[in-house]
Amino acid sequence: MANVTAATEAGRTPALRRRPGPGREAIYAYLTLLPVLLVVAAFSLYPILYAAYLSLHKELLTDPGDHHFVGFGNYVDVFHSFYLVDSVTSTLVFVLMSVPAVMVFGLLVALLLNQAFAGAGILRVAVLLPWALPPVVSGIIWRWILNDDYGVLNSILRQLSIVHYAIPWLSNPQLARVALVFAQVWHEGPLAAIFLLAGLRAIPAETYGAARVDGAGWWAIFRHITLPLLRAPLLLVLIYETIVAAVTFDLVYIMTGGGPANATALVSWFAYTEVFKFVNLGNGSALAFLIAAALLVIILGYLRALRVESNR
Amino acid sequence: MTSARRKLLQKGGLWAATVVVLFFVLAPMLWILDSSFQGENELLTRPSHLLPQQPTVGNFDYIFTGAIPRSFEVTGTLRSRISQEAREVPQALENSIIVAVAVTIANAVLGALAAYSFARLRFAGKTLAFNFLLGSRLLPAIAVAIPYYAIINAANLLDTYTGLILVDLTFTLPFTVWFLRDHFRALPEEIEEAALIDGCGRLQVLFRIVLPLAAPGLVAAGAFAFMFSYNEFLFALLLTQTIKSQTLPVILASVATNPDASLALTAASVVLAMVPPLLFALGFQRFLARGLVAALGRT
Amino acid sequence: MKDLENLTAELAGGRLSRREFVQRVVGLGLSGTAAFALMEACGQGSQSSGSIQLSFVTWSYGVSTIQDNIKKFQSSHKNVQIQFQDFAWTNYHDTMVARFTGKTPTDICYSSDHWLSEWAAARWITPLSSGFSDLTSYKSDYFPYVLQGMTYQGKLYGIPYYADTWAFLYNQDHLQRAGISTPPQTWEELTQQALEIKSKGIANYPVLLLFSQSDPGSIEVWESMVFSRQDGHLFDDNLNPVFNRAGSAAAKVIDWIRDAMNNARIMDPASLTSEEIPVVKAMASGAHTFTILETYNQAELNKSGSGPFAGKFKMAPMPGETHNTVGYVRFYAVTDQLTRRPPDVQKAADQFLQYFGGKVNGTFSPVVVRWAVENGLGFGWKSLWDDQQVRTAFSQWGDPDMLRRNQELARIKEGLTKYFPDWDVFTRAELQKAYLGQTSTQAALDAMAEKWKSLKQGNS
Repeated sequence: MANVTAATEAGRTPALRRRPGPGREAIYAYLTLLPVLLVVAAFSLYPILYAAYLSLHKELLTDPGDHHFVGFGNYVDVFHSFYLVDSVTSTLVFVLMSVPAVMVFGLLVALLLNQAFAGAGILRVAVLLPWALPPVVSGIIWRWILNDDYGVLNSILRQLSIVHYAIPWLSNPQLARVALVFAQVWHEGPLAAIFLLAGLRAIPAETYGAARVDGAGWWAIFRHITLPLLRAPLLLVLIYETIVAAVTFDLVYIMTGGGPANATALVSWFAYTEVFKFVNLGNGSALAFLIAAALLVIILGYLRALRVESNR
Repeated sequence: MTSARRKLLQKGGLWAATVVVLFFVLAPMLWILDSSFQGENELLTRPSHLLPQQPTVGNFDYIFTGAIPRSFEVTGTLRSRISQEAREVPQALENSIIVAVAVTIANAVLGALAAYSFARLRFAGKTLAFNFLLGSRLLPAIAVAIPYYAIINAANLLDTYTGLILVDLTFTLPFTVWFLRDHFRALPEEIEEAALIDGCGRLQVLFRIVLPLAAPGLVAAGAFAFMFSYNEFLFALLLTQTIKSQTLPVILASVATNPDASLALTAASVVLAMVPPLLFALGFQRFLARGLVAALGRT
Repeated sequence: MKDLENLTAELAGGRLSRREFVQRVVGLGLSGTAAFALMEACGQGSQSSGSIQLSFVTWSYGVSTIQDNIKKFQSSHKNVQIQFQDFAWTNYHDTMVARFTGKTPTDICYSSDHWLSEWAAARWITPLSSGFSDLTSYKSDYFPYVLQGMTYQGKLYGIPYYADTWAFLYNQDHLQRAGISTPPQTWEELTQQALEIKSKGIANYPVLLLFSQSDPGSIEVWESMVFSRQDGHLFDDNLNPVFNRAGSAAAKVIDWIRDAMNNARIMDPASLTSEEIPVVKAMASGAHTFTILETYNQAELNKSGSGPFAGKFKMAPMPGETHNTVGYVRFYAVTDQLTRRPPDVQKAADQFLQYFGGKVNGTFSPVVVRWAVENGLGFGWKSLWDDQQVRTAFSQWGDPDMLRRNQELARIKEGLTKYFPDWDVFTRAELQKAYLGQTSTQAALDAMAEKWKSLKQGNS
């Protein structure tokens, strides 16, 4: 998020006039910031330093006598771990499938919601609902629906004679990945839609009017007016959804538990596993820092790509 | 093609798309609602009954009164397993709402105060403080799970609302501050200037002028904070110990995955858990959309 | 540490306020966590003259029964106050890791053979010392797997809460309709019977197994299938892998599963994501004929009201040459924290353990009998099978002699070391890759052996 703001800030001219005189206003400012900074600092500075310390020491709970400094040994362990390739692959596959799916869903629904017809009103109320539910609930619902013995989806497909035998949605590695993306779109798509709708609403009506006078078709309007003007909200959704997808945990934990054959075991699942199953706090913290670093690189990459394009 | 026919076709297409999206969005929730009125036996029949053939409120009755549903009826000395945790859903509902409301209010008050200063005032260390707030959210939550547990434990706040509220605040405040700051900046500065010249303090300006103007944004930020704390699972799991403070996601996970889980009671519990966020989303969706429009309007 | 002890003594003696204490401890360079943990310990210590507080932690199963047991215990031990907490089974281990790491006061808790090495090595739980002499005298009455499951490095760590075995269960109604009179004796026979049932359209996938990667039971089912075969071992006496040798029992098991799932199509591919509850529900719905489950699930399946086939679920010895299977024990463990509490608290803990898992006045405590009779939970005691009340209760849904025989055939999981969890997580995924045909059987077993060797070396 930080960098989104930094970017938008950089792209803008400085605010108008500022009232001079630091004294009282600065004190007021510090007082108002204090509670927020205190809470956030207490729960981020200390934990981050603590986690950094753990990541540089041997912290294996089953070896309580030994906490020696290992330098970057834990990071090396993570790079040599059995799960790195599998989990990075699974995470990339999940991000590359779910983020575009969420964005396309969000954009289509937003365009629909932006139309002047009665259906838009109904849809606008309904579409937000899945997003309001805890991911745990989404996971429970989808796992149940997709169960091959008593799940309702297979039941319907069989009654309609579309399939003869139940489809094991969550037991086939490829299908399980797709199922997870479905659940993710269901849960995250609504927010993307509302965000993009807000972006669409912010486009002044005159912009379209001028284009229509010029005789442009809907595709030309969409391609040359709507899409470029939606760039900022799209980028925001893109970054937000990338982060959400890359650290998805609850949904996977409930729906597939990482299986089958690690097809849905994402890196966040292994960060959890290192700490709570292998009780290796050192490796777990190292992995968490690596995930954070990767996220940072991705976000900076997005922003750079955007800047390059806007300079073209 | 005549323009009237074209319009009709267009309208038909829009409605068809709406129905498809509505089905995708609503069907899973409706199926759970439907299931919550079926008995355990009926849920296990194949093919599934799309509508309950022997509708029952027994599952809800059990959650609120402890009366064992008919489908679990005792025969012999052994009764079919039943998720006893389901009985804790009402209390967990209360806990979740208390925590979420407290986090929401704290976000609105503390977040607005800080965001306004970030939006309008000049002071040393501003950029640093702001980037620190947002940067604090980059580390995956799992990385700080054990440190969080240690802090909350050391402060004697395990199994309390306060502990949960503090942690939820850490996750929500940075977003609220960022969101409101941009929101405040988008407001015309002239009115504030005039009020300041009239001798109003910054605090008065904030409460009398800025907040009324920014109400939709405030509601949107509050809604995000509410949803986040209502839905948060990992830390609620680690930091709560008893039903004194356990929130709904914790109890739901327990109902759904314990060895004595029953599908019917899971469905009824999920339905109850869905009520507050759905009411919330329904009640505030207009503000939410408006708040977002206002926040993004300047881009 | 000397300074700290002095400080603690000062606090306990009332010479220091809690605030001063914390300040000075922090001054000593200790983390706040340790300081508060110490304070907690002191707080409890000073209360011991009045009523004794014991903290007892379990997973959430039969919570109202546990609460009732606690009430009864407290009414006969007026000076003892039990602080009871329960956590969902699926999250229990992880919650306890946070709890032990954060030094949250805990005196007695449920544990499992699965975690014993880890918890003992981390010094979270402690062997039953001389203070618990009676509890260590029951050893000869436990089934062998029960004793093994509570023993780490030659020391006994607890007293059973329950002790079950993995059992081969089948739907008798399906067998009858297919004209099959006796359940399969070997895995090959199972394949034939399943094909017969499939061809008659009774069940499309007659076999459903609990193989979900997220369910710890999946490795137990797999090991029980290995044990049931000739030379069914994973490791030699020095914990060196033997499962990757050509023609090993483990290789045969994987080959059988691959064939059942991909060629004969008698095993539901959904097995790979089926956890315990979905397996039980699917069996109850009559969708499948054969499965492997903990025996208490036979009780669940046969209770009237659990589905159209209630009463039809029977148990047979695990197919294979040896019929061996996996048994496990969940037990009451004593935490390391308890050893630092005053003698009267430890004495109360001893009484508590006797009441909850042992004997009172020479006969089995009501709690032990109750879990067996009311909930159908397996137990660790050989002589409890002589109790008529218990036999009657188990006869309602199963065959007591068959259940007992399975316990005699049961062995504890092989490979239970402090690094077993790492190998377990690795192995579950590796096995699934082999079942799905993503890797060959031998490649999967070699990878598992490599992983084991490196873990063993890294932990020596």
